[in-house]
Amino acid sequence: MSQTQSQIMSQQSEVEEEAKPVLTASVHDVRYFSALLKGINLSNSNHASVTLTREGGMIVIVEEGRTLLATSYIYPDHFDAWDYTIPEPTRVLSSQLSDLSKADDPEDDRSTSFEIPLNTLIECLNIFGTANLSAATSSAKTKKWRRGEDESDNERGGDNEDNRGGGRGRHRQRESSNAPNNSRLEQYFGANHEKRTSMRLSYGGSGYPLTLLLAEDSTGPTTTCEITTYDPEPMIELPFDGDQTVLKIIFKSSSWLREALSELDPSCDKITFISNPADDVRRAQPRNAATKPLFRILATGSFGSTEMDYPNDREVLETFECTHPISVSYRFGHINKTLRALQSSTKTSLRIEEEGLLSLQFLVPVPKPRGGMSQSFIEFRCLALDDNAE
Amino acid sequence: MRFRANIENAPIFFRIIQAVEKLQKKCIIKFTEAEMHIICNDDANEGGIQVWSVVKVDSIFTAYRIQSNANNQITMAISTEALLSALKSSSSSAASATVAATVLPAYDADEVVMKLAKKNDQAVLSFEMFGISRTGRRVRVAHDVRIDVMRPADVEKLREPLCPEPDVHILLPPLQKLRTIVERLRALSDVLAIRVNNNGKLQVSVSTDSVKVETQWTGCPNPPMARDAQAQEGEGDEIQDAVDKPDPDKMFSVLVSIRSFLKFLNSHVVSTTTIACICQNHCAILYVYIGEVADAGGVLTFYIPTVLDGDD
Repeated sequence: MSQTQSQIMSQQSEVEEEAKPVLTASVHDVRYFSALLKGINLSNSNHASVTLTREGGMIVIVEEGRTLLATSYIYPDHFDAWDYTIPEPTRVLSSQLSDLSKADDPEDDRSTSFEIPLNTLIECLNIFGTANLSAATSSAKTKKWRRGEDESDNERGGDNEDNRGGGRGRHRQRESSNAPNNSRLEQYFGANHEKRTSMRLSYGGSGYPLTLLLAEDSTGPTTTCEITTYDPEPMIELPFDGDQTVLKIIFKSSSWLREALSELDPSCDKITFISNPADDVRRAQPRNAATKPLFRILATGSFGSTEMDYPNDREVLETFECTHPISVSYRFGHINKTLRALQSSTKTSLRIEEEGLLSLQFLVPVPKPRGGMSQSFIEFRCLALDDNAE
Repeated sequence: MRFRANIENAPIFFRIIQAVEKLQKKCIIKFTEAEMHIICNDDANEGGIQVWSVVKVDSIFTAYRIQSNANNQITMAISTEALLSALKSSSSSAASATVAATVLPAYDADEVVMKLAKKNDQAVLSFEMFGISRTGRRVRVAHDVRIDVMRPADVEKLREPLCPEPDVHILLPPLQKLRTIVERLRALSDVLAIRVNNNGKLQVSVSTDSVKVETQWTGCPNPPMARDAQAQEGEGDEIQDAVDKPDPDKMFSVLVSIRSFLKFLNSHVVSTTTIACICQNHCAILYVYIGEVADAGGVLTFYIPTVLDGDD
């Protein structure tokens, strides 16, 4: 992270003071924003790469050990206001630095990228101690996520077949059918009278700090945070080739995966996903059901191993597609890192590519400031362990 | 040397010791005819924090009798932990942390007697409690806490830290709230800057290479200090005031160790009102009032010296 550029740039701040900041955004309740960041906070010392765009909002990426890539997609509609100005290259540059900033994002010059210490950002958001979604039981939590929607939502929660597309259609419908006034008010003032932290966020452009203005209410204290931003360093890229998908599973509820993972002993060092095409499994039964599981999670460690089999039941595995038998292992420590993201999500998709690349997507519903829900997601991509490359 | 008292208000006593206990394993308690002084002045304390508190005898004790050759004063060094557990068993309301800092009567012990005694050639402070158990039986519980009675010559050497006249006084927001914020800041830095002006503004902030965080309160009252009014040094003070007054927005700041500031914030269990004084670049003095200010039942005074380093 070259901090030098940051320093040089900040010395020029007076000159550029009048320039419009690249980003100003605000949100009246930081809990969801905070949860989306916490879901990818792999370790306390990680730097996160943040990419800002006008349409896509904020994409935050964290990498670990050149193997695991965690991405959080935070869309503009999560914010009460999202005002992104494409930075003019002339404004960003100062002679020798222009090359640098060009090299940073060669593919899209309308986006802006920087790195920040993620843990610091999360600590700052929680300065008043009110940025946490309460750590209640899973059922209570699901309800919390859905606050502000109409009552019938609990029955409706499961009936969308397709992960993304269906979700989108669904909430549009919901928006119109809602009596939005009530729910809107409720969201603004909080259904119960707990305090919420609201935030105003701004970023002046390369070399400027990320500035947060946090407050609980108009009478209370205000907190200003200036988090130093660093020039982005290239992250590993783990492109997932959809055509090469061998296994695709959608867990109807994230708890089906969360409970399985939290059951496993933390001392495990390897986790293996074993899967067979549904037809093979049906033919093999009942003779050797044990050798041909539909979907099995196998965790091994120095104290033994744990196996968990999933049934071919639409109530559990909403979608199950497997083209040929597969068994891929990953480092348990990496998969275990997904637990925090799982906790705030309602639905999970698991895909494995021919090469063993794993993609886990966690759907995270976020109430929109103007009523209705927005579907956001956190994605983890993880490379397979080498020992079963075949 | 004779000393005996009934502890009428065990919860308050308990909370004061609770606030002190986090700071030091042993503290000094000096009983005089009208006051109880609790002193923590260990040099080894985190960030050099010290506590000098004065509690009026009437606000905690009844039937208070003291007699000694040293001007009817008794000074002792006592283990805070042992004292705390003795007080804990005297009052169920003191033991339950959920009870707010209101004055509640001891519930299960109708009478708590504290007295100086000698057992096996060892001076002890003996706590005797009489009460009714849940089944209706009369019970008597006794705790003996070992103490070291200090010689008058050593007591003479105890000196409150000398500070210049504070630059500014301010009423702090509820300590519980302040504590939440300072706890978050601890994760980010070791040094906390406290800045106060005479216009009701209070800022606590940390500043490191990777982050600057500043939390600001406005509209905190700046109490006029009785000490100023009395004008110990006559005209000198008035001139000082005259110089200060034109610019109420000038910020006075002090850098303190976050950990020692958190130790002070532990006193939120006992506080109702807290006034902070800043001696610019010298120290922060924090007066934690026990009970309502009007009652003036007592005050815990925390001295936190500035951190001398060039970090900022």
